[in-house]
Amino acid sequence: MKIEFTLNGSLAIVEAPARISLLTLLREYLDLTGTKEGCGIGECGACTVLLDDRPVNSCLILAPQVGGRRVTTIEGVRGPDGGPNDLQRAFIDYGAVQCGFCIPGMVLSGEALLAANPRPNRKEIRTAIAGNLCRCTGYQQIVDAIQATALRRREKP
Amino acid sequence: MTELQYVRASRISEALTLLNEVGVKNRILAGNTDLALLLRADPALCERVVDVSLIPELHRITRADNRVIIGAAATFTEVLSNPIIIETAPVLVQACAQVGAVQIRNMGTLGGNVANAAACADSLPALVCLDAEARVHSLQEEQVWPVADVVVRPNHTLIPPGSLLVSLSYPVPPPGCRSVFLKLGRRNAMAISRLTVAVLGWLNSSGRIAEVRIVPGAATPQIRRIQSAEELMLDQLPGTELYAAAARRVADEMIQLTGRRWSTEFKEPALLAMTQRALMQVFEIAPLSSEEGR
Repeated sequence: MKIEFTLNGSLAIVEAPARISLLTLLREYLDLTGTKEGCGIGECGACTVLLDDRPVNSCLILAPQVGGRRVTTIEGVRGPDGGPNDLQRAFIDYGAVQCGFCIPGMVLSGEALLAANPRPNRKEIRTAIAGNLCRCTGYQQIVDAIQATALRRREKP
Repeated sequence: MTELQYVRASRISEALTLLNEVGVKNRILAGNTDLALLLRADPALCERVVDVSLIPELHRITRADNRVIIGAAATFTEVLSNPIIIETAPVLVQACAQVGAVQIRNMGTLGGNVANAAACADSLPALVCLDAEARVHSLQEEQVWPVADVVVRPNHTLIPPGSLLVSLSYPVPPPGCRSVFLKLGRRNAMAISRLTVAVLGWLNSSGRIAEVRIVPGAATPQIRRIQSAEELMLDQLPGTELYAAAARRVADEMIQLTGRRWSTEFKEPALLAMTQRALMQVFEIAPLSSEEGR
């Protein structure tokens, strides 16, 4: 079936079966492989994307469910120069990235939090990323990176 | 694998027409957080999914007279951030906040939690505790059932094929009512409930228990108030001995309903402790001032 939606700010029109997940649509029909598949059952958060600005597990969404809606993937998050944005740079600076597999989902969960709540405390940050599993870092550096970015964005709007 | 069809309904009436089309095996899609896994396990589960998640009416949360009505496709995020529900039903807010993690709460719906009727569904004990009712529309009629009766046993409800759960509603408890939802899982986020308990109650002017409702979740096949425990507490002064006696009755009722299973050894002491803790939180903590509430 034909699926039309807004993907990272541009219109996407894809012919795909209704049965596939949004994750498969992104990776295998649109070649956007930044979104990762971890568990495939909505537990690990590696496949997190934003649907109408809210984080969701793309593995638990049927591709046609996004018809007419807005999807943001990690490919849609970048700085003004086309490189990493401030949150992504903070992840690097704070040592929040080791193997990197969870990071696209972590960044999107972080961006959704900062958009909704520019002054999150550490508990709120931990709640926001509770659905994103990381086997490497122990999470502290990730929380630090999100908190530091929140602070910097408040200082220079 | 057969080609699955996807249709999106924009109104309740349209959804009902689609669900009753002769010769098509349909499933209702709301949050898809459970259906996605069922469809993957059994590709022949249905020929068509009818997406009701974008019907505006099914997202409405309103207060009319003394009832709060929640559209069945309201997501957990919508429920737990709604000012009407925050004010009138903390137990439901706490239960919805325990579901999955942010990503699941952004898609999963209250109606889906009821209609899917998992034994461990977090919102069910809270809804039963609130004496909530479920409104179900079919092509011919509208029916209203207590939520406690809708779930017959795990994954089985009274909702007939071809009909749609449209809303859940509860009477607003009186001022002074307090409620709490406690959950035991293996970790804080994304954990399936091993055991939950929802308690709601209030005192009369002489400090005695005027109303108490105790609902354990993931403990019994049907999610019900434990009346034997509630009766014991009515018109009594709150206190630790009373909580212990009531908790004993809750645990006894669970064992009577399920028999002694392999998990009883763990669930019995846990349910005793959780019920006492919930009762203590409802009846003994001084009302929160704005300062303490932070």
